[in-house]
Amino acid sequence: MKKLIKNIWICRYRIAIWLLFSQSSVLAQSTPELEYQLKAVFLFNFTQFTEWPADSFHSDSEPLVIGIVGENPFGAYLESIVSGEMKGGHPVVVKYYKDEEDAGTCHVLFFHIKDPQRRKEIIEGATDKNILTVSDDAAFLKEGGMVRFFTSSNKIKFQISLNACKKARLELSSKLLRVADIIEPPEIK
Amino acid sequence: MLFANLPIQKKLLRIVFLINAIVLFLAGIAFFLYEVHVFRTSTQEKLSTIGKIIASNSTAALAFDSPGDAKEILSALKTEPHIVAACLYDKNGKLFSNYLSDDTLQVLPAEPGSPGYHFSAGHVEGFEQVKQESVSLGTLYLKSDMGAIYDRLKIYAGVFLLVFFVSFLLAFLLVKILLKSISLPIMALAETARAISDKKDYSVRSVKMGADELGALTDTFNQMLDEIQQQDSHLKQFNLNLENMVRARTLQLESVNKELESFSYSVSHDLRAPLRAIVGFTSILEDEYNDKLDDEGKRITSVIRKNTVKMGRLIDDLLAFSRMSRQDNKKSTIDMQAMVDEVKASLVIPGNNEKIRWSIGELPPVNANPNMIKQVWENLIGNSIKYSGKKEQPCIEIGSFAKKDHIVFFVKDNGAGFDVRYSDKLFKVFQRLHTPEEFEGTGVGLALVDKIISREGGSVWAESELGKGACFYFSLPQA
Repeated sequence: MKKLIKNIWICRYRIAIWLLFSQSSVLAQSTPELEYQLKAVFLFNFTQFTEWPADSFHSDSEPLVIGIVGENPFGAYLESIVSGEMKGGHPVVVKYYKDEEDAGTCHVLFFHIKDPQRRKEIIEGATDKNILTVSDDAAFLKEGGMVRFFTSSNKIKFQISLNACKKARLELSSKLLRVADIIEPPEIK
Repeated sequence: MLFANLPIQKKLLRIVFLINAIVLFLAGIAFFLYEVHVFRTSTQEKLSTIGKIIASNSTAALAFDSPGDAKEILSALKTEPHIVAACLYDKNGKLFSNYLSDDTLQVLPAEPGSPGYHFSAGHVEGFEQVKQESVSLGTLYLKSDMGAIYDRLKIYAGVFLLVFFVSFLLAFLLVKILLKSISLPIMALAETARAISDKKDYSVRSVKMGADELGALTDTFNQMLDEIQQQDSHLKQFNLNLENMVRARTLQLESVNKELESFSYSVSHDLRAPLRAIVGFTSILEDEYNDKLDDEGKRITSVIRKNTVKMGRLIDDLLAFSRMSRQDNKKSTIDMQAMVDEVKASLVIPGNNEKIRWSIGELPPVNANPNMIKQVWENLIGNSIKYSGKKEQPCIEIGSFAKKDHIVFFVKDNGAGFDVRYSDKLFKVFQRLHTPEEFEGTGVGLALVDKIISREGGSVWAESELGKGACFYFSLPQA
């Protein structure tokens, strides 16, 4: 708990700096660290606005897992955010996977992978397993991804493909959709 | 106008109005207070509900750092014109987005307070936590003015006034209609009572209009009237009988009295004829048979004649006394001074009572029957001459003085006088305080005086000391 409060203080401090900079349009070239701090917060918040099918949890106390595959841009920051937080009785935890083959048990999957073929495999694998896939690759949604971060007017925003979410039987809160850009890429054969 | 003096109809109307006003006023106040309470509670609840909806809608905006979206959500508050200010704080307490209604200058709190709503100076304001699931994302602030309550109370006051006037109108009409059952019998009773007291007609009856207390009152009133009418007719009958009786008795008495008077008159009158014969024949006896009678015979005839003369005088007096009752009492102004001089002159006989020293004072005129008053003077002055005759120097004083509304005349002498112990006998017929041997007289004179003065509305009295003279007074009403 102490840790959380400490983190919130750090977070507040950093966000304040970020907001300060956002006023002077330097965010486009802002430090990746600050950008990913915000993305980490968003990532956690996605868990609060998304409903997973009941069978995606084996028990009531089973943790909700945010998985990171490949390069980890958040450092320990994401863990500090989710520490102690819950989602409908499930404790929220972060797991790092070296290999996407291991990522089948998570609920939110963030990855930062350059190889399109590998991306496609991960996305296809996640669809059957009710995993909310999140990335910041430009072509992510076209490849069947669900949520993509992007930067617009010096702010971090995200696009959502509802079709992809529906396929994975994930239900996104309309409130989340309000603040997102809904993009529906053509069906992938 | 005092309430006690108002007509019953107005009284009842005022009572009904007063009760109506009090009941309506109290009910109005109760409803008003209840309404204010309900409104405050509901305003708070409504604000709280709005707050919960807005807070619930703002979660994503706060979670994903979208002040634009937050602004859009808050601007939905435009539809609720009484909400004057609203804002969102992020989870660090920093102002995230705000909404201010157009026409107000509202100051937003610098940082969020504890959740809950409260009233403050014409406003309701409060904070609502913004939470998604269990995660706290920020705080919502809402501020509403109390315009809604004033709008509502205005409508309420209008309705209240309308109800007030309508109920007064209804009460007025109902009282007018219903009062008839109370006021009509009372007014009928009052009208009957007035008619009776004005016209003294006890045959009038009040009409009964119902079987209530007023009906009973009307019955009792009518019964009373029955009784009064009965007693009235009894009384009238009795009165009539009495009058008839009195009239009959009076007639009876009058006739008896007349009979008596004519009887005494005729007796006195008829007695004079034989007396005249006695006097005449005694005179003849004395004149023509003087030489044939001896001394004793002459004495006896002289005694007979003297007594006969005396009897004649007695009869004259009695005639005068009885005649007086038969005379009409015709009044006129009498010059007392002249009358007294005349009487004095008629009574003074040369060689007999010339030596009397007269002293006659001022005598004012009076309004009375002259014949009667002359009789009074004759009797009183005659008495004085008679009873002072044996004195060496008889003195007679005649005078008058005023006493209240009467004039008192007096005749005073220095004659024999009388014993005051017997003064009550003085004015009674045939009552004498002196023997005929001392002073001759019939005992009718003063009785006659008393009778005359009483008829004239005055009174008679006397003062005396035996041997030192007497003073007789009589009073007459002032002219």
